Amino acid sequence: MKNWLKRSGVAAATAIGLCAALTAQAAETIKIGLVAALSGQSAKSGEAITRGLSIAIDEINASGGLLGKKLELVRRDDESNPAKGVLAARELIQKEKVAVLFGGLDTPVSMAIVPFANQLKTPFVGVWAAGTPITRNGAKENYVFRVSAVDELVDQALVNYAVSKYGAKKPGMILINNSWGESNEDGLKKALAAKGMASAGVEKFESGDVDVTPQLTRLKAAGADALFLVANVAPSAQVVKSLDRMGWDVPVVSHWGPAGGRFGELAGASAAKVHFVQTFVFQEGQGGKAGEVLAKLKAKYPEIKSLADVTPATGIANAYDAMHLAALAIKNAGSTDGAKIRQGFYAIDGYDGLIKRYQKPFSPDNHDALGADDYIFTHFVGDEIKPL
Amino acid sequence: MILTAALVTGLGLGSMYGLLALGFHITNAVSKTVNFAQGSAMMVGAVLGYTFLVTANLPWVLALPLTLALCALYGLTIERFLVRPFAERGSDSWLMATVAGGLLVDNIVLFTFGKEPRQLPSALTERTVDVMGSGVYPLQLLIPLTAFALVALLLAVRRYTRLGKVMEATVQNREAASLMGIPVRRVVAAAFALSSVLAAIAGLLIAPLYSVHADLGTVFGIKAFAVAILGGINSALGVVVAGLLFGLLEATVTATLGSAFTQLVSFSVVIVALALMPYGLFGKREVVKV
Amino acid sequence: MRAQTLGIALLLLIGSGLAFVLESYSLLVLSLAALTATVGVGLNILLGLSGQISLGHIGFYAIGAYTSALLAMRGMPLGLAAALGGLLSAFIGGLLALPALRVRGSYLAMVTISFAFIVHHGLIEWRDLTGGANGLMGIPTPSFGPLDPGIGLALCAVWLAGASLWGFTVLRRGRWGRLLRAVKDSEIAAQSVGIAPVYSKALAFGLSALLAGLAGGLVPPLIVFVSPETFPFNQSILFLLAVIVGGIGTVFGPLLGAAVVVLLPELLSGAAEYRLLFFAALLLAVLWAAPKGIIGSLARFWGKPEPLLPPRHVDRRRLARYLDRSHGAEKGLVVKDIGIRFGGVTAAEGVSFEAPFGQVTSIIGPNGAGKSTVLNMVGGFYAPDRGSIRLDGELAGLAAWKVARAGIARTYQTTQLFGEMTVLENLLVAQQRGRFGSWWRDDGAEAREIALDLLSLVGYRGPVNIPAADLPHVDRRLVEIARALATRPRVLLLDEPAAGLMRADKEQLGELLRTIAGYGIAVILVEHDMSLVMSVSDRVLVLDTGKPLAFGTPDEVRRLPEVIGAYLGATDYQARPRAEPWRGSRDATLFVKDLTLDYGAAPVVEDVGLHVNPGELIAILGANGAGKSTLLRALAGLHRPVRGSVVLNNESIETLDAGAIARRGLVLVPEGRQLFPRLSVRDNILLGTYGRRDPVGKGELDAVLERFPRLKDRLYSPAGLLSGGEQQMVAVARGLMAKPSILLLDEPSLGLAPAMIAELYDVIAQLRDDGVTILLVDQMANLALTVADRAYVLEQGRVVRADTAAALRNDPALEAAYLGSQEKVA
Repeated sequence: MKNWLKRSGVAAATAIGLCAALTAQAAETIKIGLVAALSGQSAKSGEAITRGLSIAIDEINASGGLLGKKLELVRRDDESNPAKGVLAARELIQKEKVAVLFGGLDTPVSMAIVPFANQLKTPFVGVWAAGTPITRNGAKENYVFRVSAVDELVDQALVNYAVSKYGAKKPGMILINNSWGESNEDGLKKALAAKGMASAGVEKFESGDVDVTPQLTRLKAAGADALFLVANVAPSAQVVKSLDRMGWDVPVVSHWGPAGGRFGELAGASAAKVHFVQTFVFQEGQGGKAGEVLAKLKAKYPEIKSLADVTPATGIANAYDAMHLAALAIKNAGSTDGAKIRQGFYAIDGYDGLIKRYQKPFSPDNHDALGADDYIFTHFVGDEIKPL
Repeated sequence: MILTAALVTGLGLGSMYGLLALGFHITNAVSKTVNFAQGSAMMVGAVLGYTFLVTANLPWVLALPLTLALCALYGLTIERFLVRPFAERGSDSWLMATVAGGLLVDNIVLFTFGKEPRQLPSALTERTVDVMGSGVYPLQLLIPLTAFALVALLLAVRRYTRLGKVMEATVQNREAASLMGIPVRRVVAAAFALSSVLAAIAGLLIAPLYSVHADLGTVFGIKAFAVAILGGINSALGVVVAGLLFGLLEATVTATLGSAFTQLVSFSVVIVALALMPYGLFGKREVVKV
Repeated sequence: MRAQTLGIALLLLIGSGLAFVLESYSLLVLSLAALTATVGVGLNILLGLSGQISLGHIGFYAIGAYTSALLAMRGMPLGLAAALGGLLSAFIGGLLALPALRVRGSYLAMVTISFAFIVHHGLIEWRDLTGGANGLMGIPTPSFGPLDPGIGLALCAVWLAGASLWGFTVLRRGRWGRLLRAVKDSEIAAQSVGIAPVYSKALAFGLSALLAGLAGGLVPPLIVFVSPETFPFNQSILFLLAVIVGGIGTVFGPLLGAAVVVLLPELLSGAAEYRLLFFAALLLAVLWAAPKGIIGSLARFWGKPEPLLPPRHVDRRRLARYLDRSHGAEKGLVVKDIGIRFGGVTAAEGVSFEAPFGQVTSIIGPNGAGKSTVLNMVGGFYAPDRGSIRLDGELAGLAAWKVARAGIARTYQTTQLFGEMTVLENLLVAQQRGRFGSWWRDDGAEAREIALDLLSLVGYRGPVNIPAADLPHVDRRLVEIARALATRPRVLLLDEPAAGLMRADKEQLGELLRTIAGYGIAVILVEHDMSLVMSVSDRVLVLDTGKPLAFGTPDEVRRLPEVIGAYLGATDYQARPRAEPWRGSRDATLFVKDLTLDYGAAPVVEDVGLHVNPGELIAILGANGAGKSTLLRALAGLHRPVRGSVVLNNESIETLDAGAIARRGLVLVPEGRQLFPRLSVRDNILLGTYGRRDPVGKGELDAVLERFPRLKDRLYSPAGLLSGGEQQMVAVARGLMAKPSILLLDEPSLGLAPAMIAELYDVIAQLRDDGVTILLVDQMANLALTVADRAYVLEQGRVVRADTAAALRNDPALEAAYLGSQEKVA
């Protein structure tokens, strides 16, 4: 009898203590949530988004905040794991009561969060993950918005670029073997079909592969005259290195994977050959908003010394613009109620952003603020991303 | 041409596995334990190499010995804190301890070295040479050569030097060795140091072909342990040969079925092989006495 | 047991209550913690009950989740879908036990890691079914009538965890759990009580996978989405962490562990990215500081149960009923012409004998004669190359557990009890003879009574509800015999049961053996103690170098000249005593005072004091198990820690390790030679110089070889290929190369042919005459006393006499107690 008293006493105390800790809370600020990869291979992306959001939040708070309150960023790590992402999203929405939730790099994580955001009526703004169905999720009341590229549109852009720039007739695909690669395989095939073009083949590779020559050799043998590359930075570099080794000089048109890290360093001299899509690039001597934001970044994050340290600019810029758009939505709503903020997004009229001037960016039919015209093609020169 | 490329890649990968597996062999022989933090030693080698060569910009004659010395220290630390306390009291918790140790080191590196993969430049990967119609970096040829040289060196040391005899005696009968006055603990520690140095060499060799990041060693380490078992962990030559075969198998599967199937095939081979030949290709079964 | 059930009920109540009061996010956390606890309980079955490890449980979790998700998406109700997920997972777990059968420890870890990777990549590649890397979406939320689905799912998870905890307590105490724990504690002994390790391990894997799969089955409706990334490999380590941190084998350990693994990151969500760093450090801290886990470490404050003792009086009629098995037409065990070779060496050949029911049949012979080999063939641990072993049917080549079920029980030279199980459980599991029965039912009172009777019958008087590992040496032997009887054997094999027993105990053992035979059991005895053998046996089989020499009644065997020659050969040889009595310095080289040594429970060596003067040859005498070898090993530093003091040349060495002691000049030539088998004879001998501080002279090797001329031609062959006698010479030569200030010889004549023993003792006598200080332990007590100057007699780890060798040689009482056995045969 004594035994179980002791044992269950310990267990009960643990449970009660934890529950008490879970429910403690207060709200003097408007909380802005971010669920992104803060650890692991994609951690750089989480850092970029954090920077973009923070600069925007600082600007808003400096000009008096929103609804008389300051904004406060609450971050959670999704470890690139959808289950963790959902858990984190639910915590931020239900426990931290964030007004708006921002998402990270990984499409599967965002896809896992989408149904919850819709169910819990909390606006979820994607600033990186490009998976087409994230915003086109079929929900009656769609709470998911995005200020980022959309895979389907990117894929069309990639095909157009390969044709117009290189006159490609039979391009091949070299794709990372994950969900991102999978969804772009569909997108690219559709885009090619729309143009009535043939593909030289689809090859997949793993992020841990040291050597991609077998796949590339097959594409070369199939007569590929250009390559579509979809992979994160390190695996993309492996493709470039394998191309180098084969001595195959073929145009490479890429999704924005290479932008995610030190592609210039990883892929060496041939990095510049890879032309990839971006929504925004910082440049030296840029005036206007871009120069302003860059200066603020350098001031807030002393570790930023050169343009090489603000890659990927896409993440920063998307997050920055998205935060300002969300702030406008909250202002329009006049409250932090999710349903009202959603209407607030539709009510945004115009906003002069870092990427472009947004004009009625959202409507019930269109939850993507960026379209096919907003993509620019870039490449690495040394450690910096330069537009082409 | 695909197969030539696969052959070169396979030999390179296989040599990596072989070097790491040789480390497993050495530590297992003297201590009957398995160091699951061995893969991390490879990563630490690559990360330290990068730090000294690139970040600190040291000349390689200084950077490489420094890296290897620190990795030896890493091996000593693993043995002292993650293996010895458990092995000496007859517990097999060294298994979980080294798993945890590896995880700990990987994460420490993640937060100190950084989350981004980096590139270790090498003069040996700047231009390619032509081997039977395939472009190959000189480094890719150097890897198997280094691996073989190290194996040959190790075998020679074991066979012809007093140090080798002492190690061999510890392997064959640890208790008797201690009765000869051999400091068995120090021999075991030295084996862990040596094993980490071998892993570090593997890491330094693969880094220019790959990239340097915190979880560089995880999958390599797991596969190398599989290789060590497949080769028969008590046979030095066995594990190296098994490493080469495993590397060639992987490269062939990648070249023919695609790399999506590489992991499926290689891990299935591990399970089937262990079920059919628990003592590996070249290993010896120990007779159970009751 | 009852207390645990109440504890679980209380926890369930709290958990269910929480499900209704928590807000929705905390509810999800509660659900996930409950699911993690369920997986933890599953792992605990594997780790805690069957002693196997899995680093791949995330694979089972994923299989359960995907199965449940796919079925739910096709309209199946959640409960059924999750149950099927669990079953599929259990089935695959059972399959994974097949490789697990042949490998263990780190190899098993590798198998399970591979399994997890295969599942992960399989889920990615089987795109048509699993949705590939994108995973499955649109998983329906189950309906719980008026209840909110979140609350409903949380209740499901909590009750699943509660049910698995309760199942664990029942399993652990019950028949199934005993089978698992027996295999964990000693796979060899488990087989000899009829347990097939394959089923037991497969059961553990299956149950463990079942719980992981069931828990996984509830994940999809909770998260509404599954993808391969939902189940990352690291999660396997976290599951293990939960069990280890909580306490392996404890009931509530996994629950506490799950709380730590799931809830702690919630409390520290700001530092989420350092989660793995923190958990790795936590795991290390627990392994270092609290290897039994948090609950396991707290358990010692619970207090111990009241000791439960076996009855003083045995219900012999009940036992007779239990042990009586109608014998049919057979008259006993019939062994015909069996033989076996190990790597080209014949270990036994042409061995035939009969062991009738109700009689004691003994097998004797010198060390290395193949007695244990024959026993192992009969017991099914070695498959004979040829010949037949019949008891009703043919048994040769059957697995040990099948042999055990056919009615052959056995004990071991070194006892093989199920150490973590109580004495009573050791007998209860033996009564099962490997049969599972129903997992929830306890054994009847009858089974307990029989177990207690058996313990009483063999003369065990201690408590029956303490772990068998805590028993002293003598009791272990008794309990092992009782356990063998609990299998209702028709044949009982006993491997040196008298080793380490005192004379009085041996006499009782003799009576016991007759009693056992009286129940109609065929007793087969392998024993060194001739007086015991000759007094209890009906028939005796004499083996020499693997071949049968004679088979007959004790009287017949005793008279056969070839038996006397083979068994007592060495007695013809007269070792050379010292010509002049020793007269040297009294400044002791080795001085031992109050030395006490124990392994946990009982002291093996207690308060021993002795001294060896320079140039003396001292013998230590005593029965098997009296602590002689243990004493030498402790002096050489192989056993630590010791209490008391050991002084070598005026320096305390009792805290030094073996290497340091050897370097100071105390050199042990260990029992069984302990050569480096794959190094050459020359290398072996030269390694002896390793610990020396002075340079090795050129002629030293030759000088040593002069003492062992027969080694000269074998210098470059691997030491392992030499004969036993030659190996012993290498071992002594190796010891001499160290220029020891004292040489310890442990059983140098063990297992040697008579001619070799003579040669060896000539060398020992010569060494003595040359002034080497020697401490000698040898079973050939008469020989040892002939060459020795003085001797100490050890009994039960204590010195009971110390005198000159001459005085001891002429002491008839001593001869009867410790040396007598050999003379009695002649």
